[in-house]
Amino acid sequence: MTTMTTAPTRPGSMRTDPTTGLTFGGVLRSEWIKLRSLRSTIWSYGLVVAISLGMALLMSLSMVNGMNGGPDAASAPAAQQAGLVVDASVFGVYFGQLVAAVLGVLVISGEYSTGMIRSTLTAVPRRLPALAAKAVILGAATFVVGAIATFSAFAVSSVVFAGIDVTANLLDPAVFLPLLGGALYLSLVSLFALGVGTILRSSAGGIAAVLGILLLLPTVLQMIPADWAQDLVPYLVSIAGMNTFTSTTAEASADGFGVWLNLAIVLGWVAAAGVGAAATLTKRDA
Amino acid sequence: MITAAGLTKRFGAKTAVDDLHFTVHPGRVTGFLGPNGAGKSTTMRMIVGLDRPTGGSVTVNGRRFAEHRAPLHEVGALLDAKAVHTGRTAENHLLAMAATHGIGRRRVREVIELTGLESVARKRVGGFSLGMGQRLGIAAALLGDPATLLLDEPVNGLDPEGVLWVRRLVRHLAGEGRTVFLSSHLMSEMAMTADHLIVVGKGRIITDAPVTEVIANGTSPRVQVRSPQASRLADLLAGPSVTVVRSEAGLLEVTGVEASGIGDLAAAHALAIHELTPKSASLEEAYMALTADAVEYRTEAVR
Repeated sequence: MTTMTTAPTRPGSMRTDPTTGLTFGGVLRSEWIKLRSLRSTIWSYGLVVAISLGMALLMSLSMVNGMNGGPDAASAPAAQQAGLVVDASVFGVYFGQLVAAVLGVLVISGEYSTGMIRSTLTAVPRRLPALAAKAVILGAATFVVGAIATFSAFAVSSVVFAGIDVTANLLDPAVFLPLLGGALYLSLVSLFALGVGTILRSSAGGIAAVLGILLLLPTVLQMIPADWAQDLVPYLVSIAGMNTFTSTTAEASADGFGVWLNLAIVLGWVAAAGVGAAATLTKRDA
Repeated sequence: MITAAGLTKRFGAKTAVDDLHFTVHPGRVTGFLGPNGAGKSTTMRMIVGLDRPTGGSVTVNGRRFAEHRAPLHEVGALLDAKAVHTGRTAENHLLAMAATHGIGRRRVREVIELTGLESVARKRVGGFSLGMGQRLGIAAALLGDPATLLLDEPVNGLDPEGVLWVRRLVRHLAGEGRTVFLSSHLMSEMAMTADHLIVVGKGRIITDAPVTEVIANGTSPRVQVRSPQASRLADLLAGPSVTVVRSEAGLLEVTGVEASGIGDLAAAHALAIHELTPKSASLEEAYMALTADAVEYRTEAVR
C-alpha cells in the first residue's frame, strides 16, 4: 500500500457549501432578524399603536362631546364628516413620530454603543449595503406598524363618531389616503432618524438631535419675529410631514403646498440625512 | 494567507502601526505578540477593513478583505468579545450574522455546540461572562468555515479549561491547512500555541521568526558554576563575549560560553568543579529582552 496519507491543503475558501455567499437579500434577512430580536423594537412599535389608539379615543370623544351643544354634525356634508373622523384618527401620529424617531436612532446607535457594528461591518465590509438593508427593513416595518396604528385608530374613532351619526367610508380616498399618509410619515421619520443616528453614532446625541429637529425647531422658528423665520417654518420636516396627511381633507393646507410638495420636502430631509449617513459610514473607521 | 505591505496607521500625530511588512502563512499558527498599545489590534482591524490604513495595504488571499465575494467564508474574526448587541440572544446574533451569507440554521447550531454555548444560546448576551462572550465571538468567527482566522486575545477571560480548548482548537484549525493569526501579550501562551511569531512594539516589527528561534535568539543561555577555585576560573573565562557574574563566594553566573566549554576549560587547568548547571532562558525573559525598548506603558517599580 503506497497511498498518500497527507491531506492536500486547499487554497482559498474552505467552505463546504459553495451555494452560500454575501447577497443583498441575505443582508436584508439579517437586518430583519436583528430588528425583531430586540425588545426595544417590540416596545417601540407597541407604543406607536397604543399611542395612536389612545389619542384617537381621546380626540374623538372630546370632539363628539364638544359638538353635542353645537351645530348638528350629522347633517354636515359627507366630506366634512369624513374629515372629522380622519383628523381624530391621525392625531396620534404627532406623538407616534417621537417613538419612531427614537427607534430609528437606536437601530444604529445601539450597534455603535454595544460594539455590534464591528460584527455587522465585518460581515458586510462594503458597508453601504448594510445601511441600505437597515433602511429598507426599518422603513417597511415602521410603515406596516404605522398603518396598523392609523387604521385601528380609525376603527376606534368611527365607533365613537357613530354615536352622533357622523360617519366616514374607509373606501373613500379622502379617508384611506391620509391614514396611509400618516403611516408613511412615521416610516420616513424613522429613516430620517436612522440617518442622523448613523452620523452621530450615539444614542443620546442622536435622539436629542432628531427630537430637537422635529419638535424644538418649529417652536423656535415661530418665536423669531422675522419674516424669513416664518417663511422657513413650512419647510421643516415635522410641519411638512404633518401637512402630508392632514391637507387632503382641507381645501388647501395652511401653507398651500399641497400633499406632493409637502411629501417632497420630507423626502428631501430623509435624503439629506441618508447622504450624510452614507458618506460618514464609508469614510470613518468603525 | 495574509500579506501586509508597508501597512501604516496614524491617529492624528500618533503612529499606531508603522510600515509593517509581513506574511502570515496557512497551515500554522502565527502568533502576533507585543505589549499593550503595540498596534496589534489596529493591525487586525485593518485586515478586515474596520480601520482604513493611512498607508500601505493588507490583503487576504491576494485581495483586500472587502473585495471578496463571501467575506465570512474568507476570514473569521474575533476582534473583541464585545462586538455583539447586549440585548440580543446569542442564537439570534449568530442567526443574523449567518443570514448575510445565506448560512443555514444547521451551521449556527454546529458552532453553538462546538463552542459549548448550548445552555446559554437563548439568553441575552448582556448577562454573559467575559468567557462566554469570548466563546460567542469564536462561534461567530467560525460561522463561515473560513480559510483564515483572526483572533485578537482569544483566551482573555477564559478559565483554564477554556484556555486549553482554544489552544487545541487553533492547533486543529491550522492542522487543517487554515491560516491562523492569533494575538496575545502573553509570551507563555504563545510558546504553547504558536509555530511562528511576529513580535511588534510601538507599531514596528521587532521579530518575524519561528517560535524556537525567537526564544533561542532572544536570550543568551547562562551557566551556573560552583567551584572552590572560582576566582581563578573567572579569570580564565574572561573574554570579549563572555560575562561572568560572581553572586556569592564560589558561585559564578557565566553567559557567552556553553557548559561543555567551561567544563573542558576547568579540566585543562585541573580546576575542581562542584556544580555546572545550564540555565535555559525563560520565554518571558526572551520576550522582555525583545520588547524592552518598545513598551508603551511602562510601570514604575514599586518602592
